[in-house]
Formats: sequence, C-alpha cells, structure tokens
Amino acid sequence: MINKALFKQSCKANWVKWLSVTIATCTMLAIVIIVLGNLGINDIRDSLKDVFTQADQEAVLKENSVDSYDLYLTSVDGSNQIVVGIGQMFDSYDNAKEEYETATGSPATGDALVAIQTQIAQGMVSQFEGMLEGTGFTSEQLQALIVGQLAAYDSDPAAETNFINLIKMFLPNMLPQQIASQAKEQALANGATEEEATATEEQVLALATVAVNDYITQSGSPTFVYSTALFESNAAQYVNQMMYDSVYNLQISQGVEEDEANINATAVKVISNTAISTYQLWQHEYSADGSLTDDEKALAKTEATKSISDQIPEKVAVALEELGNMDVYGLIIGSIFYRIAGLLLPMVFVIMTANSLLAGQVDSGSMAYVLSTPTKRRTVSVTQMTYLLFALFSMFALLTVVSVIAVWIVGGNNFAINFSEILLFNLGAFLTMFAIAGFCFMCSAIFNRTKHSLSIGGGLTIFSLVCTILGLFGSSVVPSAMRISQMNFFNYLSIITFFDTTDILTGSMDWLWKFGILLAVGIVTIIIGVFRFDKKDLPL
Amino acid sequence: MKKEIVIDVEHLTKDYGMGRGIFDVTFNVHKGEVFGFVGTNGSGKTTTIRHIMGFLKAEQGEVKVLDMDAWKDGPKIKEFVEYVPGEIAFPDLNNGITFLKNQAELLGLKNMDYANSLISRLQLDPSANLKRMSKGMKQKTAIVAALMADKDILILDEPTTGLDPLMRETFLEIILEEKKKGKTILMSSQMFDELEMTCDRVALILDGKIIDIADIEKLQNPAFKLYKIEFTNEQDYKKFKNLKFEVVRDQPQYTQVTIKIATTSLNHLFNVLKNYHLKFISEVKQNLERHFKEILLNKRKVKIVTSKELDKTKRERKRERKTLKKEYEKQKEDKK
Repeated sequence: MINKALFKQSCKANWVKWLSVTIATCTMLAIVIIVLGNLGINDIRDSLKDVFTQADQEAVLKENSVDSYDLYLTSVDGSNQIVVGIGQMFDSYDNAKEEYETATGSPATGDALVAIQTQIAQGMVSQFEGMLEGTGFTSEQLQALIVGQLAAYDSDPAAETNFINLIKMFLPNMLPQQIASQAKEQALANGATEEEATATEEQVLALATVAVNDYITQSGSPTFVYSTALFESNAAQYVNQMMYDSVYNLQISQGVEEDEANINATAVKVISNTAISTYQLWQHEYSADGSLTDDEKALAKTEATKSISDQIPEKVAVALEELGNMDVYGLIIGSIFYRIAGLLLPMVFVIMTANSLLAGQVDSGSMAYVLSTPTKRRTVSVTQMTYLLFALFSMFALLTVVSVIAVWIVGGNNFAINFSEILLFNLGAFLTMFAIAGFCFMCSAIFNRTKHSLSIGGGLTIFSLVCTILGLFGSSVVPSAMRISQMNFFNYLSIITFFDTTDILTGSMDWLWKFGILLAVGIVTIIIGVFRFDKKDLPL
Repeated sequence: MKKEIVIDVEHLTKDYGMGRGIFDVTFNVHKGEVFGFVGTNGSGKTTTIRHIMGFLKAEQGEVKVLDMDAWKDGPKIKEFVEYVPGEIAFPDLNNGITFLKNQAELLGLKNMDYANSLISRLQLDPSANLKRMSKGMKQKTAIVAALMADKDILILDEPTTGLDPLMRETFLEIILEEKKKGKTILMSSQMFDELEMTCDRVALILDGKIIDIADIEKLQNPAFKLYKIEFTNEQDYKKFKNLKFEVVRDQPQYTQVTIKIATTSLNHLFNVLKNYHLKFISEVKQNLERHFKEILLNKRKVKIVTSKELDKTKRERKRERKTLKKEYEKQKEDKK
C-alpha cells in the first residue's frame, strides 16, 4: 500500500518546510510557557481578588457596626420606655381612683382600692412578664410588689420616684436579657448554629447591658434633657471602641505585635466610625420631614454599609470580579497558543504540503513520472497521505515533548497548567490538525489544479482560524468587560471549536466526544480523497 | 503473417465540449512498429496518449495495451511501458541525479548502466539543479528517465521539443536503435521530417479526429513520380506537350511542365528527352508534409459545407471561412 521511493521523495521535497515550522512552533510554545511561568501574571489577578475580599469584609464590618449602634439605641430606648411606662402606671392609678369617685360619689377605700390596685398591677405584669426571665423574679412577686408600691403611693407620692429607682436597679438584668434572647432566636431563625447563636446572644447581652447602664447613669444626671444626642454619640463611641477592642484582642491572641495590632484595630475603628457617622447622617437626612419609617432606616443602613464593590456600577463590579477570577494561563496557553497561534504554522505546512503531494504534482505534470511506473494510484494517494500524517504526527510529538519539558521547568504540577492538561492540549491540537490535514488532502485529491485545491482547502482552513480568532471575543474565556457575546457566532463556523481547551481546564469530559468528531472528520475526508483519486481523470 | 497488435485504440471518444476533445479515434500499433502521431496544437494527440497511459477514462470506445484495458489495468500495463510526457515538470527534488535515482527506485531498476550510456550519449549533466535546467536539458532528463528501464513499449509525447538540432539527431538515432531492438514505439510530434525518418506509419489528427494514416514506405516509394522539366526553347516545350505524358502543372511563361509518370516507364521518358534541350529536370518529391497538406486542403473544402455541425462560435467559423477562402483562391491561381 505504501511506496517507499515515493515516501522518500516526499520527505526530501518537504523536510525544509517541516523543520522550519516545527522549530518555530516549538520555540514559540517554550517561550510562552517559560516566560508566563516566571512572570507571575496571576499576581495582578490575586490583588484584584484581594480588593474584592477586603471590600466584602469591610461591608460585613460596617454592617456589624451599624447593627451594634442600632442595638445600643434600642436598649436605651427600651429602658426609657419602661421608666416612662411606670410613670404612666401611677398616672392611670390616679385616673382610676378619680373615675371611681365620680361614679360612686365617694373616694375608693378598702376592697375597692385593692381591686383597682390589683387590676393595674395585672396590666403591668402582663406587659413586663417577658422581661422577668433571668431576674429571679416571678410574675406573682412582681404583681405583689406593684400592688404594694401603689398602696404606698396612696399615702406618700414620693413612692413613685422610689419605685422608678427600684425598677432601674433591675433594668440592667431585665432588658438586655430580653433583647439578647430575641437576638439568639433571630440568629437561629436565620440558620445560624446553636454555638453561633449563643455567641451572638452574649455579644448583644454585653452591648445592651452597657447601653442600659449608660441610660440609668445618664437619666439620673442633669444632662438627661439632651439625652437623644448624647446617647447617639455614646453609642457611636462605644461601638467603635468595642470594634477596636475585639480586633486588638484577637490579633494579640494570634501573636501579632502590639504596634501592628494597634494599627489594624485602629483601621477597623475608623471604618466602624465612618459607617456609623454615615448612618447617622442619612438618618437625619431622612427624618427631616419629622418621621423616620422602617424603609428609610433600611435605606440609611444600605448607604452606610456600602463597600467599594457597591460603590462602583454593577456591570463594572461584575467585570472586575470576573477579571479577578480569570485563568490567565488557561487563556494564553490554551485558547490563544494551542487554538490559534500554535496552529497557524502547522496549518500553513499542511495546506502547502497537502497541495504539493497530489494536486500540485498533477497540475505541474510531475505525477506522470510516478504513474508511468507500475505504481497504483491507490498506492500513490495512500503513500502521500501517510507522509502527511507522519510529518504532522512527528511535529506534534516534538511539540508535546517541548511543552512537557517547559511545564516541568516552570514547576511541574504546581504550575497553573498541569501535565495531564498540557498533554490533552497537545492531543487536541494534533487531532484538530488531523481533521484539517484530512480535509486539505481531500481537496488535493479531488482537484487537478493547484489554485482550486489551495483556495478550497487552504481557504476554508484559514477561514476556520480567523473565525476562531473572532469567536474568541465572544467566548467565555474572555472576561465580560471585553466580551461581545454576538461574536460567539463565529465559533459555530470553525472546526477548531471542537478543540475546546476550557473543557479540559474545567475538568469536563466533553472533550472526549469533541475529539472523536475531529478524528472522524479526518478519517472520512481521507477516505473520500483516496477513493476520488482512484477514479478521476488526470491531465498528465 | 498477421502482425501482433500492441496498442489498440477503438472508437475512442472524449468530448470536452466546444468542439474540443477526441472523437471516434481508431488506430492500432503493431509489435515492433514505430507509429507517429502528428497534428496541430490542441488537435488531440496528448489526450489520446493520456488514454493509452490510463490517466483518462474513455467516454466511449476502448483502449487496450497488450490486450489489457488501459484504464483498469494501468499499473500492470506500465510494467511494459515507458513514457515521456509532453509537459516536462519534475518532482520537487534537488538535482537530476536524485531524480533519476528516485525514478529508478520507483521502476524497481537496479542496473544503471543503460541509463549512464544514455546520459553520456545525450551529453546530459544530471547533477544540475532540476529547477534551473534549460528546456532542452529537462527534455533530455525526461528521456533518460523514461528510456533507462528498457521496456518493450515506448510512448513519447513530443519528445524532441527544446532539443538542439544535434541532440535531435542523436535522439532520433537512439529511437531507431530502440526500434531495431524490436520495441514498439508511439511518438507524437509536430515535425514531419523526424517522423518521416523514424516512423513506419504516421497518423494525422485534426480537431480530435484521425484524418489519415500514412504508410511512410509507400510514400517514399510511390508507383507514380512527379518530374518538373524546363526547356531552353519554346519549340521543344510545345513539341513535348504534344507527347502523351500526363501534365499535372503547366507553366508556359517559364516553358516548364510538371508530369506524372509511373516509375515503371521512367526509361521511356529519358529516352524521349534525349532529343530535347533541357534547362533542368528535377523530381518533385512526395513527402509526408506535402501528402498531409493535400489531404488537409481537400478536407477543408468539404468542411466549409459541414462546419455547421461543429460546435464553434460564429466568430471562429467566420475567421476559418476567410482563411480557407484565401487558400482556395491561391490554389486556383497556382493551377492557372
């Protein structure tokens, strides 16, 4: 089936082409891998990634600060409400007594007075029942206490102040505990584990206790009039300090130097301060019309907790984030070298050689010398096809050796692209060239004129390559900032699309059937070429 | 004794359209015969040869070489056939030596003695770069590449183009030697004289049709010969004209006559002429060229009528008619 003399003749006629293309391609590949391996292209990518991680952390930090600030004020607000509620209780006791007098015409005494006291006390107990948990007080005790205080109030109006002071003593135990257990329930409902929820409860408890104690201290002082503004600044200061402390302690426990821990903790404090100040600013802005709805509060919080990634437009943020996640090595070695740059020279070799093996010799007439010997046409075409595949195979065998050595030099399996991936790249590129060689061979076998063989075989091959270049700008390996999805259409026009390097890099097994298609295209076109060459007229 | 037929072409037709191609070509080449093939450019010589070589598939008719089908049994036939193609283009190899060695390998030829003798006889320098060879050198290389295998059948498509006159002589000598060895040779050419020198029979092909197959021996030894005689005076001229010789051309202004006479009665002519004063007497030799020209002229006269059936453009037909008319008129004038 194979004629040795003809095979030798083809080797002699084409070895210069083969050698120059092989050397050039191998050199390009070695340079690409080694230079990329030493440049650390992924540094930029990593720093971009850092920016976004930091931004995310910052957002969490800011949210924590704002939440803590809110919690502080809620605790203060709660304490205030309880104190005000007790004042209102005495007022409603007075009112109930007056009503009784108007209705019966005589002041309430004895059993009637007790009934009123009990009614009011029951109302209060039902209101505060939830807070008793953890205080060591039962609702019966509370009810008895209130009844006793109301009775004392009948004889001495100073009892009101005394009772308020008494309740204030219990506030640091009652209210924070309630808020903390609510926070725990909330955390559990949000899907936190029992441990995390308990940690949250402890934090909130500490924060709320500070806030309530703060309230009690402030409400007894002459500055109580300016309470709102005062509590707000206290809350900010306290939260900032808390942030600082927790970061500082954490860092020290991790063995960081004191100075450095101080710097880091201060940075966190600054971020916390900024977040809370922004939050306060937006709350004042929204409450200019006299009221602050929940929606407005939420808006203020969003504004205050914005990180860098929230401040830039969404599309840009997505693009930058993708850029951070992009696999630069996969793109340059896989999509650009193996699918485009590295294929170009072998393509030129295959187009020229396939043409000169049959069509070129028929066109010039030199095929006559072979066919005027007792050599079958089938033998001629099979020999020439064998030479073409042999040249291509040896070229890619060398390329594989070079690529494996280059990857080994830049770090073996620690390199961004490991050995199995680089081997699959070489196999894919070879199979792509096999399909193209089959097609060019078929054109060379079908046509008697060089110009037809070259323009169909070579033309479509180069067309494929150009489509792959254009299609690259629409494919998923290009970050969305540079991607034009419509350009992906070109990928459907190119046979190189069946050599999908992203499949190999992402570990998908789709490359298996795609390689199968490339192999089938090569085999079918070669068979068509061989049979056509047997049957056609030759102008020799 | 019936001669063995080596190449047999029967009703071979290959129509390329527009009147081009070959139509109903029939001839055969006997063993040991040199068969010539003559015709203008594009008349179909090469197409016929390509069919014999099995490069083209016949549309109609069949081509047999040594009783084997030229298309189906091509590789087997080529064990007996050497071929010099009309268009000389070599494989992409460095020099003549590499090419000849490669060709010898393809032919399965081990002994290069004959090749070397051919090379020295043709004064070929095979070490020259194939691409830089002159047309003649390429032709010589092609001839050596074909002849070195020393096979029984030789097919040569215009083998002398590009050769200088001396080399042409040498080449024709080689052909005659091959003929002596008993080889069968089919050779196409545009040169009548070289065909006349080497061939036994010559076929004339025109517009893809074989017009005539001439036997060279009969042509060179015809039954009738033409003699042109000029007399010194008019009396002798007039007196001679009254004799019963067949005059084919009469030129009274020069006192010249051309007569046709059977070779057997030549003695009679010379006896008669003894009594006349002659300025000169010369034999008008019949050669291949003249023979075919006569046939062509006759054929073309007929063709004016039949040209309608040919698939030619109006302009081509008009031009052809014009040239034919001129030729016809010129011929008439000559007769006068």
